[in-house]
Amino acid sequence: MSGDYGRILVFREAGAAREVFLSFDTFGIAIGFNGHVDLGTGIETALSQIVAEELDLPLDRVRMVLGDTTRTPNQGPTIASETIQITAVPLRHAAAQIRRELALRGARRLNAPAARVTLSDGAVRWKETVATYESLIAGEEVALLLDEATPVKDPKDYTVVGRSAARVDLPAKVTGSHPYIHDVFVDGMVHGHVVRPPYHGRDSGAFIGHSLVGFDDAAVRAMPGFLAVVRRGDFLGVVAERADQAEAIAEALPVEWLLPPELPDMASLAETIRSQPATPRSCDATGDFAAGIAQCDVRLERTYVWPYHLHGSIGPSCAIADWNAGEPIVWSGSQNPHMLRADLANLMQLDEARIDIRRYQAAGCYGRNCADDVCGDALLLSHATGRPVRVQLTRAQEHLWEPKGAAQVMDVEGGLKDGAFHAYSLDSWYPSNRGPNLALLLTGRVSPEPRPSDMGDRTIIPPYRIAHKAITVHDMAPIVRAAWMRGVSALPNTFAHESFVDELAYEAGEDPVAFRLAHIDDPRTAHLIRESAEKGGWEARTAPRRRREGRMAYGQGFAFATYVHGAFPGTAAAASAWVCDVAVDMETGEVQLTRVFVGQDQGLVINPDGVRHQIHGNVNQTAGRVLKEELSFDEITVTAQSWATYPLQTFPETPAIETMLVERSGDPALGVGESAAVPAAAAIANAIFDATGIRMREAPFTPEKMRAALGIAGAAQPAAIAGPVAALSWRDRLAGRGLGSKANGATGSGKGTGARKMGLAALLGGSLTAGALALPIHRAIPPTPAPPAASFSAELLAKGREVFAAGNCADCHTVQGGSPNAGGLPVETPFGTIYTSNITPDPETGLGNWSFEAFERAMRKGVSRDGTNLYPAFPYTSFAKMSGDDMFALYAYLQTLEPVRRETPPAEMAVPFNLRPLNAAWNALYLGSGPLAPVAQKSPEWNRGRYLVEATGHCSACHSPRNALGAEMGGDAALSGAPVKGWYAPAIAGTAAASFGWDEERFYQYLRTGVAGDLAAAAGPMAEVVANLRELPDSDIQAMAVYLASLAPDGTGGSETAAGQTATPLPDATHRLFESACAVCHEPAVANLATAAKVPLSRSAAVRSSDDEALRTVIREGIEAPLSLATRDMPGFAAELTGAQIDALAAYVRTRYGAAAR
Amino acid sequence: MDRSIEIAVNGTRHAFAVDDRRSLLDVLRSDLGITSPKYGCGLAQCGACTVLVDGAPARSCVLRAAKADGAAVTTLEGLADAATGALHPVQQGFVEAAGAQCGYCLNGMIMSALALLSANPDPREDDVRSALRHNLCRCGTHAEIVASVMRAAELMREAAGNPARDDAAPAERAAVVSKAREGAPA
Ligand code: FES
Ligand code: FES
Repeated sequence: MSGDYGRILVFREAGAAREVFLSFDTFGIAIGFNGHVDLGTGIETALSQIVAEELDLPLDRVRMVLGDTTRTPNQGPTIASETIQITAVPLRHAAAQIRRELALRGARRLNAPAARVTLSDGAVRWKETVATYESLIAGEEVALLLDEATPVKDPKDYTVVGRSAARVDLPAKVTGSHPYIHDVFVDGMVHGHVVRPPYHGRDSGAFIGHSLVGFDDAAVRAMPGFLAVVRRGDFLGVVAERADQAEAIAEALPVEWLLPPELPDMASLAETIRSQPATPRSCDATGDFAAGIAQCDVRLERTYVWPYHLHGSIGPSCAIADWNAGEPIVWSGSQNPHMLRADLANLMQLDEARIDIRRYQAAGCYGRNCADDVCGDALLLSHATGRPVRVQLTRAQEHLWEPKGAAQVMDVEGGLKDGAFHAYSLDSWYPSNRGPNLALLLTGRVSPEPRPSDMGDRTIIPPYRIAHKAITVHDMAPIVRAAWMRGVSALPNTFAHESFVDELAYEAGEDPVAFRLAHIDDPRTAHLIRESAEKGGWEARTAPRRRREGRMAYGQGFAFATYVHGAFPGTAAAASAWVCDVAVDMETGEVQLTRVFVGQDQGLVINPDGVRHQIHGNVNQTAGRVLKEELSFDEITVTAQSWATYPLQTFPETPAIETMLVERSGDPALGVGESAAVPAAAAIANAIFDATGIRMREAPFTPEKMRAALGIAGAAQPAAIAGPVAALSWRDRLAGRGLGSKANGATGSGKGTGARKMGLAALLGGSLTAGALALPIHRAIPPTPAPPAASFSAELLAKGREVFAAGNCADCHTVQGGSPNAGGLPVETPFGTIYTSNITPDPETGLGNWSFEAFERAMRKGVSRDGTNLYPAFPYTSFAKMSGDDMFALYAYLQTLEPVRRETPPAEMAVPFNLRPLNAAWNALYLGSGPLAPVAQKSPEWNRGRYLVEATGHCSACHSPRNALGAEMGGDAALSGAPVKGWYAPAIAGTAAASFGWDEERFYQYLRTGVAGDLAAAAGPMAEVVANLRELPDSDIQAMAVYLASLAPDGTGGSETAAGQTATPLPDATHRLFESACAVCHEPAVANLATAAKVPLSRSAAVRSSDDEALRTVIREGIEAPLSLATRDMPGFAAELTGAQIDALAAYVRTRYGAAAR
Repeated sequence: MDRSIEIAVNGTRHAFAVDDRRSLLDVLRSDLGITSPKYGCGLAQCGACTVLVDGAPARSCVLRAAKADGAAVTTLEGLADAATGALHPVQQGFVEAAGAQCGYCLNGMIMSALALLSANPDPREDDVRSALRHNLCRCGTHAEIVASVMRAAELMREAAGNPARDDAAPAERAAVVSKAREGAPA
């Protein structure tokens, strides 16, 4: 209608600035501004509905800007379900104001009486005439001061609010185009990686901010991508061009920290929390509790304990900051952009107004995670480097440092008088505050004294009519870093109220719902309870029913609460009631929540689907918290670094959920973000009581606790990692990272495949040694320059190269990251440490001055050029069987390698293994007699295979068990499998190999590709061997397969017998660890998972070993598969699991998969 | 150590040198600007990083890019019809049944659902729950996600001209459809 841009907006004055709540312009789009953010709850959709309703505009013409500090009003943090209830109010008034202004203008334009025009679909209408909103503001800028007295629509007339609307953000999310904070890229940005102190997750005490002794950035400056190491107090971070480089540098940076002081005993959670400094505050002292309780004829004293939880955002926090010459821009996923801005202003000592926080959606956060902390990290790093810096926290960092959902203890006493609830006292301890920004604490900008808070009083007043009450909250500081989490203290307080009232009801011989109703005065609450019980299928009873079918016991529970938030006495959000069903396995103690019915009264419903989704989310998340989740600690810190040790509820565990939304369109809308979570713990505990007669008063209700409570056999089994404290584990972890020895205190993201060469060293350790012994016993062969490389024919060298590969020489003679073939790999043996030698043609330290005679003597007899004996870890007993031609070809090939000067360190042998006579005697006993002679009756192929297996390939060095002197055993024992220190080399001959399923075809596949169907996959040192075999022609691989198959007598069975049979251990923490960390790849849920293990665990060589060592090795180190093979990687867990956890896991895997395999 | 590799992502070939220790997830996100796979745990525990490698689901955080040399990788960005922009039926199922709250887990859910439905076009709800048992969602969106996958299965069968399931329990099917419809745009 008009091309002139125009706009109408509503604002309020905020100091010198204007805060805009809503604007509408000639593009026909309304934009609402709200200081709260969308935490993934669909609040953006609900707010859009409110604007569309009041403005009579189609929903698809409304946009919301949430949380950006320069564009949205400061409305405090997005907490306590306040968005719809409180912060949406001015938005609604603003929309009504614009509507009123447009109606006036429209009436004037259409010459109509102002009171009689109608507004719909973005236009003002009078009889047949129409004026679009856009046409009424063309060319103008109309600014209206917010008037919160503006009349709003009568809910009876609502057409948009109260109806389900599809989420506005979903189409972009399903195509991957929705930009989360993690997806933001800023021009010129570089990457930071923080190195956190060893006091993970703690934020008070004099050591905070003062524990970093020093670091050595010179050691990492040459690493690729290095830009800076930045320190301020205990804040330490690395900046590099790429994120993976920053992480590698952070992991390599030598850092020295002071040892943090110990935590109080977190295993005795209740006593520890009660013993912390706290200030009692009376919240309700109705009547006279002391007198009242004395009058009771039934008295109960109970304690309820709630554990520490993780918020557990699925995406670890991320931010980008650009210092921008003192006018910082911060791209953030914060839940509280305005609060964050104040913190960053304090951190950088800047005027708040100079900081621009641009808010993006992050992963759901349910309270407070590291989203604000990481902004501080990024800003400090950007300030130091002058570049925009992106920081992505690792999973471990997020787990360890997020402000936890606090544990809570509720001590309750109360009783009945003449069947009525007569007296009730509750003391509640909630060690939590708002979680001050980490950068402020680490840099020392904010002092680290304990900061008590007052948030333990949410829903602390019981909803019942009770004559005598003594309700007390003990205001206290956190023990470990903690902040609000969904349901805050109301959830545990309700666990106490609603478990206790249930118990009293049975004591009174009454039905629990009827008993509650008898003590409720508020008709609206009574209505919710009654309707929920009725619609939810409540079955009245006056005693636990203990319904049994076979091993399962079934029960039903009820609980309800009105979630009260904000400063005491607070504001009521929606009230929720649960009716839930459980099934308890009376043999394992597992509790399955099968069905949850939620009745909820939230006043006016803006978006019914949105409300239902919130209820579902609350139910599923909180069911997991009640049944599974519990954070563990060692003496110093939080220990959980991944989902392995903090499992979440999984799909098969989720209940069926039904909802009932009470119709109250005439009442104000109440927040629904948390309410349905609040009754969860009590409802489930009450259902378990109905099923079993057992009262659970300490969450989570794990199978171990259930078994103990039910007296199920096996309950006393020592679960090495079940308790909240894994003894001594911090010592392992700190020692592992070398706290005192200048190593990095940061935890990596768990790539952990770097320890491969260690495994190789350990493998060699099983045999004896390759190092030279100092005492001469044979004649020395004088140094003689080897023939020049050019004097060897190409054909000869090609042959030598194959022998070199078949013998796997490079692996043992190269240290990780060192020059190829220059030796020096330490081999830990039971007899001492030896080092492999330099086999490059360097004249002084390698083979450059070795004649062929000297080389051949060393290879066949284990005697070095200077006459010293070699330890028999160098497999000369096999090499003695090599042909002269191969020996010469290998010699020639070695002379063409790149010469490297590198002295081989002397062996460090323990007595008596460095004694000459012993070594000499050993050789006399075990050294065979020269090259293998072909067996005439066998095919040339078989003979070739035998030669490769027995001589060059020296397979027996690992696959044959050894006697006490370290010599390979022969006869039936040859190649029958051997635990080699750290790994296990399984049987490749005899009935053991045949019954496992080895045959010619599978040997061939395995040696050629590393994988034999689902029978075996090469891992650890064997993977390197197979990778080297790629140099060999197919005919040689085939020959080895033919020979090996001939060693396995036919018809002794197939692989079917070796797999499939598994035992199921009782569920405990180790079982949960396996299910959450291992099962994804070892019991994959989808067919064909490209990152799953190729071979079932029951066939794994490590599981078939006679002890747990090989399992421990592979769990610790993982597998870095050679790129040339079809085998797959496995992450290592050394950095995140304690020694005790790895031991328990190895034992668990052998119990579950090992039974049938040996 | 850098190594030259070539991968096709959503039909576009990329040839480049890459440090052979970097994960496919990191390379997709940082170097190729493909941001639908998300970093959640780096240890194959959550599923947020799932992509298809030669049609098979893979947790790209534990798959090194160098191991995917020569592979064809498909991500969320590559599912919609390139010509019309029409959503893939699985994406459509998630929109209709509102299978996300924050949506950070959504990529993994859609990719895993694709893997499930290509093996089992006609799953029951329990099959869906089982197939997603190693995908974590902290928002508790499980019910909507299961309904989304059931709706997706239905859309895919319709597209294939085979809407009926022989052994379907009619009551269960009706419940699924109505559940999915509850979330449909008003
Ligand atoms: S990020 Fe790959 S599975 Fe969690
Ligand atoms: S929707 Fe947020 S993690 Fe699944």
